Amino acid sequence: MKWATRRHCHIDRAACAWLIRRFLDQEAEFVFVDDPEELPPDATPFDMRGVELSHHGGDCSFETFLRRYELDDPVLWDIARIVHEADVDDERYDAPEALGFDVALRGLSMVVDDDRLVALTGPLFDGLYELRKRALMLGREPA
Amino acid sequence: MPHRLSESAAQPPRLPYAFDVQPWLQHEAGRSSRPGRWVMLAYRVPRKPSTPRIAIWRRLKRLGVAKVLDGLVALPLDSRTRESLEWVADDVLAAGGEATVWIAEAAALSQERALATRMAEAVASEYDAVAEEAQAAAELEPWLRRRTLARLRRELHRIRRRDFFPPAERERAEAAVAQLAVTLAGAVRR
Repeated sequence: MKWATRRHCHIDRAACAWLIRRFLDQEAEFVFVDDPEELPPDATPFDMRGVELSHHGGDCSFETFLRRYELDDPVLWDIARIVHEADVDDERYDAPEALGFDVALRGLSMVVDDDRLVALTGPLFDGLYELRKRALMLGREPA
Repeated sequence: MPHRLSESAAQPPRLPYAFDVQPWLQHEAGRSSRPGRWVMLAYRVPRKPSTPRIAIWRRLKRLGVAKVLDGLVALPLDSRTRESLEWVADDVLAAGGEATVWIAEAAALSQERALATRMAEAVASEYDAVAEEAQAAAELEPWLRRRTLARLRRELHRIRRRDFFPPAERERAEAAVAQLAVTLAGAVRR
C-alpha cells in the first residue's frame, strides 16, 4: 500500500512510518510531499492537516494511529508517551526520554532525506520497543 | 506525476531547511538588510464555549508567539513553527472558529525588529524570574535546593523552547541556575 505524508519528517512521522511497516503493512511504500495538493490519489495520507490519521484533540498522529487501528499493545502506548512529548511537548506525559529523541531526530533530519530517515529510525524504534517491553515486563529498567 | 490545480498556479512556499531558524540572528550575522520570513496565524475562536478558547490561547503562549493584533499572531518561520501553527489552526477550526496560516515577510526591517524586540522582552522577564528564584534558593536547605534546581532547569528548558531572539537575561538566568547546582555539589562533598 502507498502511504503519504509531509516532507521533512520529525519524530511523529518517523514513528508512524515505523508503526505502519511493523504492525499494519509490511510492504508499505512512503511518499513525501510538500503540499496536500500533491497527494497521490491512491495513497493513504497521515500526519497532514485535514486528514483522519493526524493530530486530533491534543493527540499526535502516532496516538491517532493506535486508536484508529485499535492497537492496544501497552508497549506501543508507552512509546506514544515519548513520541507525544518529543512532538507536542505539552507535558501531558512524563517522558524524560523525549528530549533525547527530539534532538537525535532533529539532527538526523538535517543530514539525510526522508527515505533514509525512515530507514535509519526503523531499528531505533525496534530497539525502543524491545527495551520498553522488557521494562514493562520486569516492572523496572532492564540492564 | 503529482497533480496540481493548474500549471500557472503559484508554487506553494517551500519549507526551509530544518536548521533555518532565527532569521533575525542570521541577518545580523550576514549584515543582510532583508527581513526574514515569518509564519502567521490569523484566527477567530467563538467566545463561547470558553474552554477551547482558553486552551488555544495557552498553546499559542507556550509556543511564544508575537501578537501582531487581536487574532493575528506570528513566529519566525521554520519547519517546526509552521507545523505548530498549522496544528493550532486545525484546533481553531475544530472549535468552530476560522483560521488561516500565512508565510509573510515584513515590508520594512524596522517592523520586524519591533516584533522581535517585543518577543525578546517577553522571554527576558521570564528569565529574570528564574534568575531571582535561583539566587533566593541559595539560602534553602539542600534537599529543597535540589528540588528547586530541578524545577528551574525544567522551567529554563520551557522558556528556551519559545526563545527565538535570545536576550542577555538568558545567560544571566543560566548562570544563576548553574551557580545553584554548584552550591549543591559542595553540599554533597561536605
